[in-house]
Amino acid sequence: MIRENQEHRIGVYVCHCGTNISHTVDIEAVVEYARTLPDVVQVREYKYMCSEPGQDLIKQDVEEQKLTRVVVSSCSPLMHEETFRNACEDAGLNRFLFQMSNIREQCSWVHSDRQKATEKAKRLIAAAVRRVHHHKSMEQREAPVHPDALVVGAGIAGIEAALKIAEAGRKVYLVEKEPSIGGHMAKFDKTFPTLDCAACILTPRMVQVGQHPNIELMTYSEVEDLSGYVGNFKVKVRQHARYVTKDCTGCGECVSVCPCEHPSEFEMGMSTRKAIYRSFPQAVPNWFTIDKRGVPMCEDTCPIHTRTQGYVNLIAQERFEEALKVIRDVNPFPAILGRICHHPCESECQRGEHDEPIAICALKRFVADWEVEHNLHPEPVKAEANGKKVAIIGSGPAGLTAAYDLARKGYALTVFEKYAEPGGLIRWGIPYFRLPREVLDREIDWVLGHGIKLKCNSALGENGLTVDKLLNDGYDSIILALGTTKGLDLGIEGEKLPGVVNCLDYLAHANLQGSVETGKCVAVVGGGNAAVDSARTALRYGAKEVMILYRRTRTEMPAISAEIEAAISEGVQIHFLVNPVEMIADSSGRLTKVKCQKMQLGEPDKSGRRRPVPIEGQFVEFPVDQVILAISQLPDLDFLVKDEDFDLTKWSTLAADPDTCETGKKRVFACGDAVTGPSTVVEAMASGRQAATAVDMYLSGEDLETLRGKPHRPHALPLMDNVRRPELPQQKRVEIPLDPDAGITLKEVEKTLTAEEAIKEAGRCLVCGGCSDCRVCLDACEVGAIDHCMDDTVRELDVGAIIMATGFQLFDSTVVARYGYGKFDNVINSMEFERLSHASGPTGGKILTKDNKPPEAVAILHCVGSRDENYNEYCSRVCCMYSLKFAHLVKEKTNADVYNLYIDMRAFGKGYEEFYKRVLGEGVHFIRGKCAEVTKVAECQEEKDKLIVVVEDTLLGVTRRLPMDMVILSGGLTPGRDTEKLSRIFGLNCAQGGFFLEKHPKLAPVDAISDGIFLAGACQGPKDIPDSVAQGAAAAAGALSLIDKGKVIIEPITAEIDEEQCAGCQLCIANCPYAAIDYDEEKKISVVTEELCKGCGTCVAGCPSGAAGQKNFEDAQILSEIEGILAAN
Amino acid sequence: MAGIKGSSLSEEFLEHVHQLPQGKSIDKCIQCGTCSGSCPTSSAMEYSPREVIAALRAGMLDRVLRSNTIWFCTSCYYCTVRCPAKIPFTDVMYELKRLGIKHKIYPRKDTNAVMSKAFTDVVSKYGRNAETELVKKYYLRSNPFKVLGQLKLVMKMLSRHRVDFFPHRISGIENLRRMIAAAQENGER
Repeated sequence: MIRENQEHRIGVYVCHCGTNISHTVDIEAVVEYARTLPDVVQVREYKYMCSEPGQDLIKQDVEEQKLTRVVVSSCSPLMHEETFRNACEDAGLNRFLFQMSNIREQCSWVHSDRQKATEKAKRLIAAAVRRVHHHKSMEQREAPVHPDALVVGAGIAGIEAALKIAEAGRKVYLVEKEPSIGGHMAKFDKTFPTLDCAACILTPRMVQVGQHPNIELMTYSEVEDLSGYVGNFKVKVRQHARYVTKDCTGCGECVSVCPCEHPSEFEMGMSTRKAIYRSFPQAVPNWFTIDKRGVPMCEDTCPIHTRTQGYVNLIAQERFEEALKVIRDVNPFPAILGRICHHPCESECQRGEHDEPIAICALKRFVADWEVEHNLHPEPVKAEANGKKVAIIGSGPAGLTAAYDLARKGYALTVFEKYAEPGGLIRWGIPYFRLPREVLDREIDWVLGHGIKLKCNSALGENGLTVDKLLNDGYDSIILALGTTKGLDLGIEGEKLPGVVNCLDYLAHANLQGSVETGKCVAVVGGGNAAVDSARTALRYGAKEVMILYRRTRTEMPAISAEIEAAISEGVQIHFLVNPVEMIADSSGRLTKVKCQKMQLGEPDKSGRRRPVPIEGQFVEFPVDQVILAISQLPDLDFLVKDEDFDLTKWSTLAADPDTCETGKKRVFACGDAVTGPSTVVEAMASGRQAATAVDMYLSGEDLETLRGKPHRPHALPLMDNVRRPELPQQKRVEIPLDPDAGITLKEVEKTLTAEEAIKEAGRCLVCGGCSDCRVCLDACEVGAIDHCMDDTVRELDVGAIIMATGFQLFDSTVVARYGYGKFDNVINSMEFERLSHASGPTGGKILTKDNKPPEAVAILHCVGSRDENYNEYCSRVCCMYSLKFAHLVKEKTNADVYNLYIDMRAFGKGYEEFYKRVLGEGVHFIRGKCAEVTKVAECQEEKDKLIVVVEDTLLGVTRRLPMDMVILSGGLTPGRDTEKLSRIFGLNCAQGGFFLEKHPKLAPVDAISDGIFLAGACQGPKDIPDSVAQGAAAAAGALSLIDKGKVIIEPITAEIDEEQCAGCQLCIANCPYAAIDYDEEKKISVVTEELCKGCGTCVAGCPSGAAGQKNFEDAQILSEIEGILAAN
Repeated sequence: MAGIKGSSLSEEFLEHVHQLPQGKSIDKCIQCGTCSGSCPTSSAMEYSPREVIAALRAGMLDRVLRSNTIWFCTSCYYCTVRCPAKIPFTDVMYELKRLGIKHKIYPRKDTNAVMSKAFTDVVSKYGRNAETELVKKYYLRSNPFKVLGQLKLVMKMLSRHRVDFFPHRISGIENLRRMIAAAQENGER
């Protein structure tokens, strides 16, 4: 048995609690028993120990009997532990030398057998007496209270609370999730029972909040984390990027130019708003917000990150010039890429998840061609020269893109080109019928028009043109964009035979000279775009039969799918799973056959494509007279490698830093296919852009290391709306038109879309990004308040008290399927009706059905989702009254018959019953009964095309079918969407229906369970405006009384770590939910910060060496308590 | 029949209903009428489902038993599915049928109870429905003369093999009987 040597004088006090305890527990027997316990010198019983005379008994005994320990057996310590501790302290006994045993909640209330309950009470007292032996004196400490307050949620309750605190001269942070304050009340039309206009009474308050010097408003913000303790909270608030700064004057010019429309959340999806928007005209703050929902997949997938949705949506609005401007911001070659891009954007397009992806590439081509067709010549914008010179070697897509980017930044550019004409692979590698020369020339000329000097027939390594010479000639930097000019061989027998050519030579010959030697029966080896282009070119230069030999299957073929289709339709045969092993000549040395190994697909390789493996012994021969090799290409770098500063990679490409494009030589950067190996045009452009950025940063003296590690940007997903959207119909994408006259000639095969087709196709875009990122608003905004690159900011606030006023959300009526919400057009919920009736709502305050007719009969169904165990058991309190208000408004604004279907009419508030009487007098029909269902199945002529409300009129006992034009579902109030998350962050409990739990339902209705946090408004339970305002004020009073007291008592019941025993394992540091334990590096032990410790005991339970202990919950105390329970009889 | 008062019927009935799964929820009826409004046959019932509970609370179940209500229930379960108090009302209807049969309180003119009894007798005998047997039992117990009106239809159905003249017993009928016996024993407990 655990015993202390010291003798104690213990007093035991047993409370009757009126008859609460004495009814079930034999107090006299308990008292008799207590007297027998060791060290107990005084035992008393009293009807109400908590009363003043009761407390006086204790005080008196402590003083007169010299008690050293006190035990009170009464109710839960939650109720009166403080009372009795204070009594002890008043009498001069340390408040912690007291123990309370609960013989009410845990005994008399839960038992009916008097004898057994008495027995239990005895054991509980014995346990307390033994425990109190081991209690130690402890001192309470005080901590100052931070004078600022935080209000979370700026609906009417939060507004009221914030204003009250601000008026008292204290600083308040008011955090609101939405872009504007006002909450649900801002959406209401009239308010019951007085029928004053919600806006008229709310907006003055909102303005006051916006202007109050003591209120710091943080809208579009959410609390992410809370730490600290009562009086000294630390709150982390994330302010979402609005993309509009405080400079916004609210003029709305941006709205008129924004091309993106979305259903308006504020109007419950009944009308639309732009991507840049303000919820309602009286919004506070009055700034606009841009609705960005992450990076659209199309934009993110594009190697050069073209702001695809931007130009697509402008096309949808017939704003072609602006669309081109958006494209050219990042892409100088819309007409070229609009023809030959492999458009990875389309594979990722989110519309494709629904039906088919947007024809993005064709739309780009359309606007580019539209410009030519309309003879428009956009002037290249020339930047002011910055005096720095950059040389670019190579005028392919990488080189020209780099030149374009740098020229627009004011650099003096010279581009050196090996051949007679610029363009690189796009010029000599891509056939006419895919990319007419005039398109190419026009766009390259336009790029060069940015003040870029072009020197053709200037190959690096020839005529003394070297890197070093250029550097010496005063170029500040050089970009090598050399491309790949060497075709790869197969390395098989017969490859050197006449008739075997490389595709690069073949295509260059065809494209640059307009003629090329072509066999009658041509085999092209390879599966990429060069192979398909070669095959189709061969057809055009006289081949009778063209085949493609590819060692894998169609699925693995890297060429653009549409090109493969076109090749097949032109008569090209494709043989899959064959790999040439020998070119066979006849006796005259003329190529006659190509022998191929048959292949099959094996395991996937690094690229994820299945690796082809030979089928032993199986061969096939194809008769040919020409073979074009289109395997792969390499850069020709022999002349460079002589320079010791340049290195080759193991793939024989030029070595350059993948992030900064730096080569081994200072001031020299490299990009394009020469670095990356063969790639697509748009990928080469991206590489060029990367080099341009690096050069610009290098020459501006910026740190290139910042280019490393791309920041992760979240993707946009389709339809991230908070409102109901009509179902999206399936719509096929536009077919790319082909020129019927082109045939197999050099004429371009694909045609451009018509304006009608383009507008329709662009209209299919879901604008999943919210904002399409076209940035036309930038020009519209005169004060320059728009910043499309804004980031979220996270602030840490210090506050002493917190008020939760996070409100509710309306019950989702779609779950009560039998009422047809979401299925039938004119079944609407109550928020939708509020907007419908509101003067600035979607109908301008007219109550109209979806087909814009005033209804002749309207039913208002009470208790939708309320008082129903299938949904919410509770009554939402406000629905009866707002339903009466709706009835009144419908009566006032239309000639409709109005039916209110109620179960019980709850008109409990001041003036409410009178309002009920008033509406009764207005001729509204009241039917007592809950609606069974709303159907469209008509049983007679007058029910045709109506919504039929089926209900038992319970006062009549008759089932009635009421044909209606409009049915309003008066849904209940449910906890806000984020309630669960908030309860976790703030340590709040949720009770009935999931609303925040108050400390006491009657006596502490605005105190949360956690100290220092108060509740206001509908987050605590459904309530109407007057009650919400009252609670807001009450919560403010609670917060102010805490703040003005200026200090909080900190309980000394904290963890402590025994220095001798601590092994320094730091397990407790990881376990502590309040970050109250730190590691002392010097002593190599963990140390508790008492101010932060909440005494939860987690560290104690987890400590492997038993070093962590908790004051007032020491082993000796708990073990002797257990002994008391077990030993007594 | 004459000896039993409505109030004691209510007591006995509630005792049974309370033992049904979710049966206690019958105490929580708020008389909203969702059951009656949803019931496809309530318009033909003398007392609607909601009124059955009202009658139960008023100690007037005998009136309900004497009415056609319980015999018009088609077991569509609409009331049960929609009831906001989660009262298993279809089960309650079955409990009422049992009560009526036990105390022999049926509607005077209505022969649904007879049909119900005849049907369960036939099924427990053969393990399946046997139409000729059912018709025989039903008309003999209700109004033997009425069977004459059905003769023509019966002959037609027999000739087209829509019904069999001789009843067929299912194989393993003893197993079915054991199951029914077990269920009955369970129910009485």
